[in-house]
Amino acid sequence: MSRTPTRRHLLAVAVATVALATTAACSSSGSTASGSGSGSSAAAGGTSGKKIALITGVKSDPFYITMTCAAQDEAKAKGLQFIADGSAQWDVSVQRPLIDSVAASQPNGLMISPVDTNALTPSLKQIQGAGTKIALVDTSVTDPSVGISRISSDNEKGGQVAADALAKQMGDKGSAIVISVKPGISTTDDRIKGFTEEMTKYPNIKVLPTLYDNDEPATAASQIQSTLAAHPDLGGVFAGNTNTGQGIATGLSQAGKQGQVKVAAFDAEPDEVAALKNGSLQVLVAQDPAAIGREAVDQLAAAFNGQPVQASVGTTMVAITKDNINDPGVSKYVYKSGC
Amino acid sequence: MTTTTTEGVQQTGTPQQAPRSGIPPWLRKVASISEVWTFVILVALVAVFSTAAPGKFFTAYDLTQIAVNAAIYLVLGVGMTFVVITSGIDLSIGSVLVLAAVAAGEYNLHNGGPDANWTTVAVCIAIALVVGTLWGALQGRLVATGKVPPLIVTLGGLGTALGIAELITGGQDPAGAAASNLQNTLGYGKLFGIPWLVILAAAVTLVFGLVLTRTRFGTYTLAIGSNAAAGQRAGIRVGRHLVKVYALMGLLAGLGAVMWLASFGTTSIAGHSSDNLKVITAVVLGGTSLFGGRGSVLGTVIGVFIPAVLTTGLIVVGVQQYWQDVAVGIVLVAAVYVDQVRRKTRERV
Repeated sequence: MSRTPTRRHLLAVAVATVALATTAACSSSGSTASGSGSGSSAAAGGTSGKKIALITGVKSDPFYITMTCAAQDEAKAKGLQFIADGSAQWDVSVQRPLIDSVAASQPNGLMISPVDTNALTPSLKQIQGAGTKIALVDTSVTDPSVGISRISSDNEKGGQVAADALAKQMGDKGSAIVISVKPGISTTDDRIKGFTEEMTKYPNIKVLPTLYDNDEPATAASQIQSTLAAHPDLGGVFAGNTNTGQGIATGLSQAGKQGQVKVAAFDAEPDEVAALKNGSLQVLVAQDPAAIGREAVDQLAAAFNGQPVQASVGTTMVAITKDNINDPGVSKYVYKSGC
Repeated sequence: MTTTTTEGVQQTGTPQQAPRSGIPPWLRKVASISEVWTFVILVALVAVFSTAAPGKFFTAYDLTQIAVNAAIYLVLGVGMTFVVITSGIDLSIGSVLVLAAVAAGEYNLHNGGPDANWTTVAVCIAIALVVGTLWGALQGRLVATGKVPPLIVTLGGLGTALGIAELITGGQDPAGAAASNLQNTLGYGKLFGIPWLVILAAAVTLVFGLVLTRTRFGTYTLAIGSNAAAGQRAGIRVGRHLVKVYALMGLLAGLGAVMWLASFGTTSIAGHSSDNLKVITAVVLGGTSLFGGRGSVLGTVIGVFIPAVLTTGLIVVGVQQYWQDVAVGIVLVAAVYVDQVRRKTRERV
């Protein structure tokens, strides 16, 4: 009996080790790229030569890639050294060692998307205590003393945007459900709150209790099919992220309900856009990760120069549907999969 | 098939036990309790959910969906049953599945993408199966001849396979990894109303259930798990057989990758971190001993369906989903506890 927990422990250690190994490779390439950048621009005054680091939630997510690219360009323009790194998985035990290793290099500024609202607070406070200025990007922590600035999409607003667009697609009737990744993530919790509250404006739509799939498409597929069995009037689903969206699309296809049940998903990653075009998703609520990245670098630079800093910055959101995807004002919100 | 598998296991299991202890028939009956017991739990769950949600749970639609969702785990579980019977373990299956899917997906991507023709689809399937088998054989060789514990070999394999998959793709799921030809047939296609995924999983289960109970390969597997040294003296080439068992696990992980690409249309690199625990849970729930030498494919089928029924049932009834983790956890520990008690009883005799 005692052997199974041991395996799990070992597993966690192994996952963390792999994550470290892979991310280490990434950060070295990142710093090389920015190293040449900082050499070329010397006219940036007080910020020149200062070092900032970005730790994202999931390294391979186009949302964070778009953010990283924009932050890197902005840092280059301001003459800052820039390194970027990110967790291989959305997991506290994977991100914490990354934070510790970045802390050891004592950067002047740290931009981070914490993967948990509480668990990383002690690590971040320690870094802050050592003199590093922290900007929280995308996700945040509950402790208000962490960070000089918090930059994110107004996620509650995003949930409302999703609710309005989905209600319209559903023809204002039927059951709707939210399938999200995990509880306890500030951004998705706010989206769900915004979505659920906004849906009360549509009395003919019944919102079912939220389900969580642990970021596994297979789980999301099984959950959507079970929900269909229990609620044949299901008309709309709000997907927490890309993996969840893929799982839901698969589940609906297997149940032969694709298109009948409308799906709204957050973000506008390349494969989500493909799914929108082929009809397995109906609404995408796109954030503006590039603006988040740029804004965070600006706030940190302002702090280095002793200028005033905005404690909270909200960026805009837009609902993308098949009808407006080709509009240049909308299509610029589609995320990038590489710089 | 149901009864023959159970009997078969006992028949093949007995020759190794008989010389040691001379097990009386009543004890042989006890020995099968775990399987019976978990089957009772499964039936009870179905009964409870059917009563709680009449007309919603025990419907053809719902059963099909449960089976579709269980199909990939079932295929992986069949391979894991063989590995666990040799008193081994394979933690790497989720990563091997991802690696095989990525290898096949990359080929598809550069040979037609979503509109790829049947030749490409066939090559993709072959690539996935070969990558899985080779990886499994490599791990088996390290276990067999390197004398590295399987826990460590496959733990290393878990990281390495995922890492290679991430290196190939840059950590992002490549778009266009699955051909619509594959998705529309194996993924969403049906034969007489039964999804192809389910038919494939059932065929794999049936074939390897018979392999375990009716062939020399199966007998050797059980014998090695029961007592590897005795097997060696009896003339079984234990090392070579272990390589085959781990290669079989790899092959089935490769098949799992094909099924995943067919149904999800993407490689889902980040979505397989807990496949190993899910599958090991299913195998242990099904009464296969973690200490080797005893187990059945039928048990694994039950073990796969208990969590699947719980997940679906709790959602249909409308219970908070966290109860599912609690329930599966309790059943798992109870199953291993029963296994331990039975081992003690056997040793005392």
